[in-house]
Formats: sequence, C-alpha cells, structure tokens
Amino acid sequence: MLNQIKQQIERLRARGATYVDTRWYPYEETNSLLMWNGNLKDASSSSESGVGVRVLYKGAWGFSASSDLSDISALFDKAFDNARIAAERVTFPVRLAEKETIEAKFESPLRINPFEIPLTEKIAFLQEMDKRLDQPGVTQRVCSLNFTRKQIIFVDSEGSQIEKIITEAFADLEVNGLDSEGGMHERKFKPPRRGESRGWENIDLQYFSQNAERIVRELNDTLQAEQCPVDDRAVILLPGIMYLQTHETIGHPLELDRILGYELAFAGGSFVTLDDFSKLRYGSEKLTVRADATLPNSPGSFGFDDDGIPAQDNLLIDKGILVGAITGRQMVEEANAKARRTIFNGSSGANRATSFYRVPIERMTNINIDAGQDGTLEDIIRNTERGIVLDGDRSWSIGSNREQFHFGTEAGWLVEDGQITRPVKNATYKGSTVAFWNSLTAVGNQSTWEVCYVDNCGKGQPNQIMQLGHGVPVCRFDNVRIGE
Amino acid sequence: MSEKILQTLGALRDYSLEKGYEISLYYHEEDSYLMRFANSAISLNTNEHLIRLEVTAYEGSKRASYAMITDLAKLDDMKKGIDIANEMAKHAMPLTYQTTVPTYENTFIDVSNFDPDLSTISNEEKLALFNQVVSGLETDEIKLSGIFSCGANTVAAISTRSEHSILMKTSDAQVTIVLSHNRLKWEVQAEQSAQQKSDLDPAALRAELTALLHHYTHDSPQQLPLGRYNIVFGPAAIADMLNFTRYIAFNGGLMKRGYSFLNEENIDQKVFSNQFSFFDDPERRETFPFRRDIYGIERKRFALVENGVFKAFAWYQDDADEFGQQPTGHTVPHHSLCMAGGSQPVNSLGELLNLPRETDILYIPFLHYMNIVNPSKGILTGSSRFGALLLKQDGTVVVPYNVRLTQSLLDIFGDRLSWIAQEILPYNTSLSYGARNPTSIIVPRFMQVNDLEISHSNSSY
Ligand SMILES: [Zn+2]
Repeated sequence: MLNQIKQQIERLRARGATYVDTRWYPYEETNSLLMWNGNLKDASSSSESGVGVRVLYKGAWGFSASSDLSDISALFDKAFDNARIAAERVTFPVRLAEKETIEAKFESPLRINPFEIPLTEKIAFLQEMDKRLDQPGVTQRVCSLNFTRKQIIFVDSEGSQIEKIITEAFADLEVNGLDSEGGMHERKFKPPRRGESRGWENIDLQYFSQNAERIVRELNDTLQAEQCPVDDRAVILLPGIMYLQTHETIGHPLELDRILGYELAFAGGSFVTLDDFSKLRYGSEKLTVRADATLPNSPGSFGFDDDGIPAQDNLLIDKGILVGAITGRQMVEEANAKARRTIFNGSSGANRATSFYRVPIERMTNINIDAGQDGTLEDIIRNTERGIVLDGDRSWSIGSNREQFHFGTEAGWLVEDGQITRPVKNATYKGSTVAFWNSLTAVGNQSTWEVCYVDNCGKGQPNQIMQLGHGVPVCRFDNVRIGE
Repeated sequence: MSEKILQTLGALRDYSLEKGYEISLYYHEEDSYLMRFANSAISLNTNEHLIRLEVTAYEGSKRASYAMITDLAKLDDMKKGIDIANEMAKHAMPLTYQTTVPTYENTFIDVSNFDPDLSTISNEEKLALFNQVVSGLETDEIKLSGIFSCGANTVAAISTRSEHSILMKTSDAQVTIVLSHNRLKWEVQAEQSAQQKSDLDPAALRAELTALLHHYTHDSPQQLPLGRYNIVFGPAAIADMLNFTRYIAFNGGLMKRGYSFLNEENIDQKVFSNQFSFFDDPERRETFPFRRDIYGIERKRFALVENGVFKAFAWYQDDADEFGQQPTGHTVPHHSLCMAGGSQPVNSLGELLNLPRETDILYIPFLHYMNIVNPSKGILTGSSRFGALLLKQDGTVVVPYNVRLTQSLLDIFGDRLSWIAQEILPYNTSLSYGARNPTSIIVPRFMQVNDLEISHSNSSY
C-alpha cells in the first residue's frame, strides 16, 4: 500500500502538483459504553480505515478521501481535480513554511491497552460506579467509558514518512438532581490527567470512587442552596471551569486560521489582529500561557502534526503580552507576508485532522497556563474579601470573535472575608475577554495545577471534533459580573 | 444502486439467520462535496464517498452494536462485524426493560426526494453561482467566505424479524455566503437550503447581501445601550431557537429525566403564545424528510404546539420502551420541524426596513453559539452575528456592534411574541460532524418579540 501511495504522489507531482500528502489509516477503532441509571444504554464499537489525499496545485488545495482503496489512482485524481478548480479563485497562493524531512514513529504512552480489557470488566467498573452514585438526591446517574486507537501513516512529497499509533481512554461520571422548585442541577467528574501514560491504568477504581462520593455531596449542597446573587465580585476558578475559560478565550482566538479569516463562514473570527503580536497586553503580568504538545498524558500530544511537524512547547502569552499563536505550515507564511514582518519562525506543529476523511486545520494542542506564586487554593480564598469559587462547566457561550463570553457553572461557593460561607445554585459569570484576563490577580501554585481534557472541540467545514488538553492552575479574577 | 444495497442487506440478514442471531442493520451512504471559500479564494475543495454499516445485536434484553466504514464489495468484513456485535451482546448487561427489535411490515423505498442534478452539480457551476452572487461586491477590504455543500444521502435498514426493508434517498445543498470586512471585522451573510436544483436562487442571495452591505458600508457602527428591546429575529435565529426548544421541551425521554421545561400536566394546556404553532411534518420535502422511522413506523404530520397549546411529547423508541410509552415515529436522524407562518405581511428585508414602527426595533438575523443556561426554565444565551441592524423609530437605520441575549424560550415563544411573518422558508441546519445528515427547519421569514433584555453589548465587533 505504502509503495502505491508513493507512486501516486510522484505521479501527481509530475502533473504539476507543488505538494501532495496522504494520511493512510490502516485502522481506527473505538469502544464506547454508557450506563444510565443502571441500564447499559450503549455498548458499541466501531472500526474504519481509509486514505485522505491533499494536493496543492497553483496555490490552491484539493482534498479527497475514501475507504474503498480498490482504485487508488482515481482517488488521487479526484483530489487533483478538486485542486485544479480551486486554483481558478486564488487570492493569496498557498505556500508552506520550510520544514525538515522526517522519518519517525510516535506511539502514545500506555501501560494497559484498553482494547485488551474484556467487556465484562469494563461493565463491572460502570456497575460499581453506578452503585456509588445511586444516593439520595440523585435522580440521574450517567457513567461512561470511551476508548480510541488508531494507526496513521503520513507520507508527503517532500520525503517525510511518519507512523503514529495513538490510544486514548476517557472515563467520566455525572449526576443530576432536582431542587425544591423542580430545577435541574448537575455535577460531573472528568478526571484530570495523572501519571505519564494514557491507557486503562488510569481508570483507577479507588480514585473514581472517592470522586463519585464528592460529586454526590456537592450536587446535594447545590440542590439545597440559594440562587446565585447578581453581583460584581472576585471569581476564583477551579480547574474544572478554568480549562474551559482558557480553551474558549485564549485557545480559539489564537488559532491563526481564525485570525486570518479562514473560519468566518462558521466557527468565527478572532478579535486578535496580526498587529497585536508582541504588543497586545492580553492579560495581567501573572498570565503566562503556552501551547505544549509534549505533555505525555494528554490527548493534545501526538508526536507529529498532520503537516509532519514535530511536537513543540511554545509561548503564546508571556507575562501578559501576546507573543505566539496556534499554527500550521500554510498560515504562518500567509501571516508573515500580510504583516510584512516575521512574526512566526515556522509552523508550531498544530495542524490536525480528526479522521482520514477530513483535512488538517489549526487545532489546539495543550494550551496551558503556568502555575503562579499565589499559593494554594486555601491561600487564595484567605486573601479574597468578597468572591465566589466556581467549578464545573454547565453552559458556555462565546461571541463570534471571542471578544466576550457567558459561562454557567455546576457549583459555586460564596467567599466573604477570606472564608467560604455558603454554596449557591445556578452560578454564572460573564465578561469581555481582554478586560477579564487583565483582571487576573492571583495564580495558584503547582499544587492547584491540573491537566484537564477536552474530547469534543468542534471546528471547520466539513466539521471536525478534536481531542486536546489544558494544564491550568486555580486563578482569581477581580470585579466580575456573576448571576446573570 | 438501491437494489444492490437491498440485496447486500438481504444477504447479511440470511447470514445472521443461519447463525441464529437476532440483529438489525442500519446502512448509511453519503456522497459529499464541499467547496469552501475564505479571503475571497476557494480555501478547500473536497469530496468524500463513505458507506457506514451499523449492526445492532439483541440477546433477550441485552443489546450491543458495531459500526464500520466499509463498502458493498466487502461482504466478509460486514459478516465479521455482525459476529462481533453478537459476541458483544452476549457479554452485555441485561436492560431493566424489554428492548424493541425493528420489524418492517412492508418494504418501503422512497427516492422521491433525490434530485441527481443537485447532488452532482459540477465544481464549475458551484463556482459560477458564487461569482454571480458576489460580482462587484468584493473590495480590497471586503472579502468573500462561505460554503457550497451538496451531496446524496441514502439510509436503509433491515432486521432478522422480517424480510422487508426500508430505503430512503435524498439530495441536498447548503449555500452560505459571507462578506466580511477584514479590518472592521463585521460580517454579513445570506444563506439558502436546497432539496432540488431549482431551489437555488442566486438573485435572492445577492439581494439580501446587497441590502445588508448598503448599511454596513454607509453607517458607522454603535455600541447599543443595555436594556430592553423589541427584537425581530431572522430565519437562522428562529431555527436555532426552535431546535433548542425541540431538544429541551418536546422530548419525552428527557422530560422523564427532568431536563424539560414542560411536563405531562402541560399537555393540552396553553403554554405559548396563541400565534405559535409547531409541527413535525415529514410531508415537507424541503426538510429532507423520513417518511418511516428506523423502526418502520409510518411518520405523519405530528403537532407539538397548536395555537399555543402544547399537544404532545415526541417519544423515541428506546425511551418509549423504558418508560412504557407509545413510540411516536421519532427515531430518525432528524425531524421535519415546521413553524407556522403568521399574519404580518413582511416577507423581505426591504419590507422589514420600510415597516412603520412605533418603537426602535433591533433586527437579529443570527444567534452565534447558543447554549442552555438553565434547562428547567428554558433559559438560553447567545450573541448576535451576521448583519444585525437597529431600525430606529424615526425611520433611520443604525448598525450595532454585537450584543448578548439571555432569555427564556417561554418568553420568546410566549406572551412577548408580537407578530410572525406570513412567509415561511426552509433554513438549513445541517452539520457535517459524523455521517451526512442534511437537515432544515421551516421557519417564518421574521418574528418580532417585545421587551427582551440585552445583557451585554460589545464596544467593537
Ligand atoms: Zn473548542
């Protein structure tokens, strides 16, 4: 197969293609289990294989994909024809940043392959969790396990050949309950990434059991709580909501394709302009953000991106100043040319596709905030006069240029004079992105830092779902509107 | 082609019967084309041909499924998939209720919604349509974005319970054209949904864009004061709100689980404005309808709300099995949602702009990134995008920066609903995450709702 692919790449090069790459997926398999109130609602598996071909011709992209590999030359011809018509409407001819030719292999670290665990053992885990969640106050309990494993072989016309085998295991728990007025509330446990690997070994019964007990307790506290007041206060965000704040108002606005207007028909643009790099005070001096694709245990690490660029750890925001973006080979060239200065020294290795039948686009890797000097969570609470501690994503909505946002959280606890006083329900907060990050007044130390994962980030047309991570500490922001 | 699909499904059924399996098969085939524009260029031109087969195996009250991307020549692979699903079902856990196995009482083939001229429209024709719509509208600063997405979609199903099968095939297209200012960052948009090629109307797309561009290029934008506004929503915003209403109000299973802002006592009660009527109507070809659900139930016009009175919950088969209810034929990839038109003779943007007005009117055609803040109260939040206008009482028009709205659906479709336009049209709500599922919702051209609060107002785009 590999030889056929290489011959086809050469054939299209001879026809005038300036660049060709293919991603061959010999296999991609999934296994999902969902238990809802004790019923195994979903026990499913899937498998797929196929090839996606990307062709650059006269400055324009064509793409084609198929799982039917009986006529591979027809597939390459389709991709070429798609590029040929696209070349009839070109405004800035696509060119790709320089890269090194690489022959390499990457395997995501794991100790126990989840696909080798018998179904009965996975079901037993869900039954145990379901039993622990089945407590007074809980009306709905949902436990799920999701596993994926794929092999990708990347070959391009510049001589690179990269094999990747990536395995992921996701497990989460959720409980729901009704308050005295019939209002529904929820509390989830999506475990932070621990250790150095990503296999079944992370599905630790004792750890999940402790957290099952905690979310039931916190749900019941919320059910008894008073309504969150409308007020302006300091918000102290725990990692369970801090990751999403980072994702939506730092990650997405710093995707270079969004900045350059490539998502205006769907996902949206960015308030960030090319002039802002090295200038814009995005946040307070306490804010340092990086795109780190080298964390071993996160789905935002994949060895090499789908341009064939090795994983990197790059600064995005340095002590509050915007310095970097999430980039692939195409966008950095266009951005430097349009800015008439070198903002980006090559691709940052963040171009990824969700499957063989989708085209790679700029995606977040692990967008992390450095831990700070403001102590533990307890220290931050102690140093807060009037605030609210918030955790758990319940609702999120962000402006189309990521300039403003509204978040609802699962849990909230009011803070008065350095102490937690009482929980509240239906907690929300909102703000304007740059003003909000500039109101960052405390960043927790390493003890508060957790790697959270996102398994459902949507972007692009045709649409793509992506998995990634966020390593974040507890943070406090002053004077934020809550309760609307 | 349909015959080949049904033959293959029949052969897989025979194999399953020989092995003593109880299974159902769900077949999905898509031929998808997408031309994407950005920065006035074609940024991507792509096509995918994919066949998916999902096997569900049953053993008593145990159930498991196995899905694969495959092709019709790979019969042995598909048989292997059937074996895997059966093996999984053996080791699954019994449900606490009896699950229904699809049983097709007669063979039903519906290709009446397939127009080959639309599904195979050429690359050249797609580009020509875009060129025609935006000719002369682009500048150094105003750039074209958008998509022309089209394709063919076939679903088919069979089970071991009977020799009959179902097959439905549709063609579809979704056209989105955006003009945006690359420095000022505003965007205006026009969209169309097509089930057949003759639904495409480039002149209408051009008229909509031209009218919006006129205001966006001539008027200076303003930050709106916070407060209460009378708001006219356009098709995209109405469709999005209706979709959320379907999700958190009318789904019987979710209601039983506590997610709905309606309950069984609301049936036959007036819950919404008496101007509001909302149906699931598979007779409307523009919705890419399914006239059978995947359990073989015949789908007919189904009233959710009639003149403000809540009529019935929709019951998916699995929820109906679990909660002892009668299934309502709603186990389909998408419903055929239709909101009834009203009596206001305002059927174009021009007519809306010329409508005599006693107060300022905020026109919001599109709500970006809507989400549910509180399902029990039906509260949603979202931001304006793509061509909002403030129509001043004195007849002038102002371009506002984007604003945020956080509001209950019970208010929006309830007592604050002021009027509904006469004309209805399909608004395409297709997403291409996973298997192709062309979807549109029939909505009125406009709908005015009074006294809604703007909770956030941008100082720029
Ligand atoms: Zn995202």
